[in-house]
Amino acid sequence: MLFDLNDVTKTYGAVTALRSLSVTMPEGAIGLLGPNGAGKTTMIRTLLGLIRIDAGEGHVLGKDIRKRRLDIRQLVGFVPEDECLFPGVDGVGFVSYAGELAGMPPIDAMQRAHEVLDYVGLGEARYRKVDSYSTGMKQRLKIASAIVHDPKLLILDEPTNGMDPEGREEILELSRDLSRNKGMSLLFSSHLLPDVESVCEHIMVLARGRLVTQGRIEELKLRTRGLFEVRVKGEQAAFAEFLRPRVMHVSPVEDHLLVELPEGAGASELWAWARDAGEQIRRLRPHETTLEEVFFTALAEKETN
Amino acid sequence: MPIFDQGYQHWDGRLSGHAFRWLAITRQGVNTMARLKAVRWVIILAWGPALLLTVFLSIWGLIEQKSELLTPFLNILQALPEEIRDGPKAYRKTIWTIAYYNFYALEIYFALLITAIVGPNLISQDLRFNAIPLYFSKPLRRIDYFIGKLGVVATFIGAVTILPAVLAYVMGVSFSLEWSVITDTWPILVGAIGHGLIVCISSGTLILAISSLSKNSRYVAALWVGFWLVSGAASGILLQTVREPWCELIAYQRNIDNVRNAMLDTQGAREKIVALVESSEKKMREAMNSAGPFGGFGPFGGRRRPMPPPRPRRFDVDPGDDPSIVANRRIPFTPDREKAPWIWSAGVLFGLFGASAWVLTTRVKSLDRLR
Repeated sequence: MLFDLNDVTKTYGAVTALRSLSVTMPEGAIGLLGPNGAGKTTMIRTLLGLIRIDAGEGHVLGKDIRKRRLDIRQLVGFVPEDECLFPGVDGVGFVSYAGELAGMPPIDAMQRAHEVLDYVGLGEARYRKVDSYSTGMKQRLKIASAIVHDPKLLILDEPTNGMDPEGREEILELSRDLSRNKGMSLLFSSHLLPDVESVCEHIMVLARGRLVTQGRIEELKLRTRGLFEVRVKGEQAAFAEFLRPRVMHVSPVEDHLLVELPEGAGASELWAWARDAGEQIRRLRPHETTLEEVFFTALAEKETN
Repeated sequence: MPIFDQGYQHWDGRLSGHAFRWLAITRQGVNTMARLKAVRWVIILAWGPALLLTVFLSIWGLIEQKSELLTPFLNILQALPEEIRDGPKAYRKTIWTIAYYNFYALEIYFALLITAIVGPNLISQDLRFNAIPLYFSKPLRRIDYFIGKLGVVATFIGAVTILPAVLAYVMGVSFSLEWSVITDTWPILVGAIGHGLIVCISSGTLILAISSLSKNSRYVAALWVGFWLVSGAASGILLQTVREPWCELIAYQRNIDNVRNAMLDTQGAREKIVALVESSEKKMREAMNSAGPFGGFGPFGGRRRPMPPPRPRRFDVDPGDDPSIVANRRIPFTPDREKAPWIWSAGVLFGLFGASAWVLTTRVKSLDRLR
């Protein structure tokens, strides 16, 4: 298990950042989603042992978030959203310093800094001052300084923000490699859902300090497997009215209908209902759910509840 | 495409304990600052007084030994009071104390200068470039961060105060060639190191606090220099007008001086020297006044006038003074009594330390906050 939080509450004055948050996440790459003010940053800081929670308990990599804060930060690497690079230092000096701050002996830190800079693709720029780096290079440098002490969990806060498509793809590729080939767990916080989908196996969605949904991305998509896109030759509205008492939900979308079938029903039922209604089906295909839909559906359900 | 790309490797080396994590911050800061030319120049210049102190203590060692090396300078040495010439060892501690006092009186300006160069960037730069999360997301506590930054300033202040003082002591002892020098003068060494540490901690925390007030290091440097100058000027004006001992407490440097006086026991040494000089003058006067018909002539054959009695000290009571005027004098009758007690100055320095710590904890917040 990567981390678990049990009934965690954190307030800042009148603002409740986390409300009785309970979540358990397995090792692997986890996407952290949520609108602004959802409590993502507070949750990250909780996991890093940077804040004192008001109530509840939790563990990160088996360490108590209340009692073993420094031990947690020893095992976790953090890539903040802010630039947080000071000028006048070269790349290898910056990463080596990060290693020393994590407790590595200076010689080991320097050797390791060279290795990780090679790994993130900054080997050629290691002796350049960090203030001359491009946005993508700075992002890779931050990743290098976060993994220099070989953490078990790497937390990335909006790692692809403000990057060009090429740089963004490089960061995603790096994240995938760390997660899938190097055995490092990731907590990937981002507003860019395709990025999360391309890197992570699990997601958790926060809204107003509460957990909205969590699970494997594939499983969350399966929950909407009963959705079909249907287009008929005749009037869409009339066929929609015909289907309404027979299906869970039907709504017009562009030139077709989006139909949610009841449990156990499939495409054959739709063919039968079209025949009964005297309609010809011109297009019938399962609806491909995106992470965006999972996200917005979860938020909408939470709002309704 | 590299010929051999080993990719990402896991690392399982030994980590240092949490107790010395601050050392990484100090090491990095010292390495960065030592590259500055201005810092190197100040350190080189600051070693000038240290060299003078070393030479002085070494010469004193030779005087104690009545070394033949001093034969060419016998004429100069004749100017020393007779008591010193006859038994220099009796004045060893006094002379060393005065030498160290004067050494520190000069070095404090170099400490001010090097603090103004090294200190301003330490925290203001981290605030300017949002580097605080870089530290606090590592296994570091806020106290480690503060101690690490303080270590940077303290290293450079120590390099212009404690280190030269210790080296000068070692050289002075070496030239004395006597173990008794150590037993006589070790309190001076302890006092000098202690005073150096007080300067390091006091000035260090103060500059860190000021550094945390602004993201612009130039403003910080200006604030630091302004603090010294303005507090010194304000204290000087008040001493001229109000003339109360507490007026000294307003000047940061005077507080440092007061504590130094107490730690080196400068007052005792001064009194001994003053007594020696007065007794020497008295003897000379008596000798001149009781000189015979030939000894009473001046260099050009004229009759030499008898030496006048010593002038009264600034605050002494003259026999002819009006008692009512004397009673209304607000200034104490001896200059020493107008000085603020050293414990007051120590209290002010301690208060400044507390205020600096409070500013630091307020300005360099933990990440336990909403934004």
